[in-house]
Amino acid sequence: MIEVRDLKIHYGDLVAVDQLCFSVKPGSIFGLIGPNGAGKTSAIKAIATLLEPTYGDIWVKEISALHQPEKARKLLGYMPDFPPVYEDLKIWEFCDLFAHAYGLVGEHRKASVLQSLHATGLKEQMNAPCRTLSRGMRQRALLAKTLVHDPAVLLLDEPAANLDPKSRIDLRNILKKLAGNGKTILLSSHVLSEIEDTCDTLGFMKAGKMALCGTIDEITRSNRQNCLLKIHLSRAVPNLLKVIDQISILSEFKETGTEGTRFRASMNGGEKEATEVLAQLVNAGLPVAGFICHRPSVEDLFLQIESQPTVEKQAE
Amino acid sequence: MNPLIIRGIRERLRIKNLIASGLLSLILCSTLYLAAFLDGMQTWVPAAVSSSGKDELLSIPLNGAREAFTVLLILQGFYLMFLGTGRVASGTAEEKESGLLDYQRMTPMSPLSKITGYLFGLPSREYLMFLITLPFLLHCMVVGEIPPLNLAQLYAVFFCSVLLYHLTAHVIGMVVARPRAASWVARLAVLGLYVFLPVLGQAGISFLSFLTIIPTYFGKILPHLLAEGTEKLGRFEGQAVAFWQEVPFFTIQVSPTTFTFAMQGMILLGLLFTAYRKWRLDSLPALSKPLGLGLFVILQFLLLGSLWPFFSLGEASGLLGHALQLDPAKTGLPNQLKHDAQPAIAMIVVQAIFFLLNLAAVLLLINVCCPNPHRRLKGIQRKEKLGIHRIPSLADESPGGIFAIILSLIVSLAFACLHFLAVSSEQVNSVSSSLNTVFLPSLLFLCTSLSLRAAREQWFNLGFWGYVGLLWLTPVLACLVLAVDDLLGNSQFMLYLSALSPLTFFPQLITYVSPSLLSEASQFANFSMPVSTGISSAILLALVLTIRLFRYQKT
Repeated sequence: MIEVRDLKIHYGDLVAVDQLCFSVKPGSIFGLIGPNGAGKTSAIKAIATLLEPTYGDIWVKEISALHQPEKARKLLGYMPDFPPVYEDLKIWEFCDLFAHAYGLVGEHRKASVLQSLHATGLKEQMNAPCRTLSRGMRQRALLAKTLVHDPAVLLLDEPAANLDPKSRIDLRNILKKLAGNGKTILLSSHVLSEIEDTCDTLGFMKAGKMALCGTIDEITRSNRQNCLLKIHLSRAVPNLLKVIDQISILSEFKETGTEGTRFRASMNGGEKEATEVLAQLVNAGLPVAGFICHRPSVEDLFLQIESQPTVEKQAE
Repeated sequence: MNPLIIRGIRERLRIKNLIASGLLSLILCSTLYLAAFLDGMQTWVPAAVSSSGKDELLSIPLNGAREAFTVLLILQGFYLMFLGTGRVASGTAEEKESGLLDYQRMTPMSPLSKITGYLFGLPSREYLMFLITLPFLLHCMVVGEIPPLNLAQLYAVFFCSVLLYHLTAHVIGMVVARPRAASWVARLAVLGLYVFLPVLGQAGISFLSFLTIIPTYFGKILPHLLAEGTEKLGRFEGQAVAFWQEVPFFTIQVSPTTFTFAMQGMILLGLLFTAYRKWRLDSLPALSKPLGLGLFVILQFLLLGSLWPFFSLGEASGLLGHALQLDPAKTGLPNQLKHDAQPAIAMIVVQAIFFLLNLAAVLLLINVCCPNPHRRLKGIQRKEKLGIHRIPSLADESPGGIFAIILSLIVSLAFACLHFLAVSSEQVNSVSSSLNTVFLPSLLFLCTSLSLRAAREQWFNLGFWGYVGLLWLTPVLACLVLAVDDLLGNSQFMLYLSALSPLTFFPQLITYVSPSLLSEASQFANFSMPVSTGISSAILLALVLTIRLFRYQKT
């Protein structure tokens, strides 16, 4: 549904997006993650036909967004990372304006407006002027406007920013429902736990490039060899480092507390290797009070990728 | 109905706004109208005309209505041309800055519908205020016995002007980022383009006068606003009416209304193309190179048409024509210059304006059409992707060298046409037949255009304007200081200094190649060396900047 090939975006000498490649399947929710300045917003804007890339191709449902932007725009619903609204319009008027601009007429238009307001939980406040809305409510109004013409592809830049926990859960449910109805959704977010729960495919961007891309299963499976260990001792032990040095599969051993009793380490291997590590620690006479082994979450991966030098290899 | 117009009405004409702006307009209009009406109604009737046989003060409603008409027109202009223009510019710029314009850009409405929506939706309140004035206008027309046909012509031009100003504001709003700046930039641009520039119409370039409603007002309405009992207009009004009756264009005469429509229509078309491009994609330059060239050719055609009577017959209207008819003894010129000086000075003034106007147009076009580093890079990458040998010369991404050369050639050609027209004319004796008269200004124009283009492409925004400000304005300001200090004593040094800035060097060069004046002018200063210095420095600057740009682009 969305295909991005070799996308490059320059702002003068600055390379905002560099040879970005990825594709989003119909009915899928693709999450774009990356630190500030990674190029997420630029990439989304280019797909939304609002930014002319320096190089590359973008296809939306087999329509070139670069060569036929007018056609591509009909398929797109775009929501930017900050929620501008027409301050002096009422919420329903705001949605009605766009329903009208997208060519909806008569009862169909009215029904679409009401439906989008209902979907975003704004039906009760539909007569409120936009200027009286909180940031979270504006975000909802914007989402309602984005949904009003029933676009096949949704491009959402930081949709969960400024939303309270309840609204985030609502948003997640709305997006899952839309994806279930066959909509293709591309969203970017900094709320990593949120993205893990909402998206089925992820792309990690760093310095304009795609550092890692795939379904959540693929990504976590590819990092299965890296387990994170959390070790808690009941008291500080002077010869701890000597013991740790003898366990070769451990790396990145770090103290996480201040009393010399809480530590974190990475380990090559799975649960079997973790059991062996625990046995070695106990056999060495360490007073182990707690031992947790878990696979890295999206957040851990994000931090790991962010701390690594840029990966040159592009993920498809 | 256009959804953007509906949006404008919903946003700006809710019941509270409707009542407030309606009342404000009604109070303001009735106060001004009645004051002007009552004042105009009191008319002194001289004894010769008076029925009582002596001077008397009579109340004549016809005179009141005629006097109030101009006040009403100014108020209507204030609503739509001043307030409306500011609203369109700031509204567009605010939406651009907030990102709302991007939402609109993504809707499938055609760019033309979007432009229409913004032009009529954003100033909806100002249109309402204008509507409130219409009953007063009707009263004016009926009581003042103003011919409806003439009034219709005036208001057709009025709305065309309003549309033109609003479109200018819309384009400026899309180009200038900050909303507060956009509102004032738009008002200043409207003032500059449609108030100050038309003054040049008085110097023979008549088409510039037809960017406003003034010609139609003077040509079609003012003669019908005479107070009863007054047989002719005042001196100034009389001259103005005479100036705006028929427009000499090449060898024909055109009606002021038709000419105004043609002028405004042409600019509207140019602005529409710009707005269309900006609506399609914000990052596109406001004008493509072919469109820029097209507009520039039209400008030359208009310049040729307007200046044709002056270069072929030595005739001009407006202040220039007035100056040509002056008695040499009353001109205030030094005795050495009095003999046949007016036609020669007029020729220098007109030629200098011709080049400076073209220089301003070239500055604007190079600024808009030459690629910034981002676009140039895009061109290089596209060239590689498509496997083509070079970027097409007139593509947005292509360097502007050829574009600048074509612009200069067009100006040279137009100037050569005018020059040979004057040489072949029996009525015009103030131009030299020497080829240098065409060659030297054309060479200077070419070098200046190439320098501008090189500066634009390597330094882009701030550096470019810094270059223009430093090189063009500093010598002029320095000359000003020297002139205040000791005009005659510093004259030679001032000539050298002014040869560095195209703003002052064009008039200087044209004076140098003018046969009638040089012999007299050379008594005050030696022109030859400063002119050589100016030409050499222009060539050197163009060469150095072009080579530097070439190196910069290679790296």
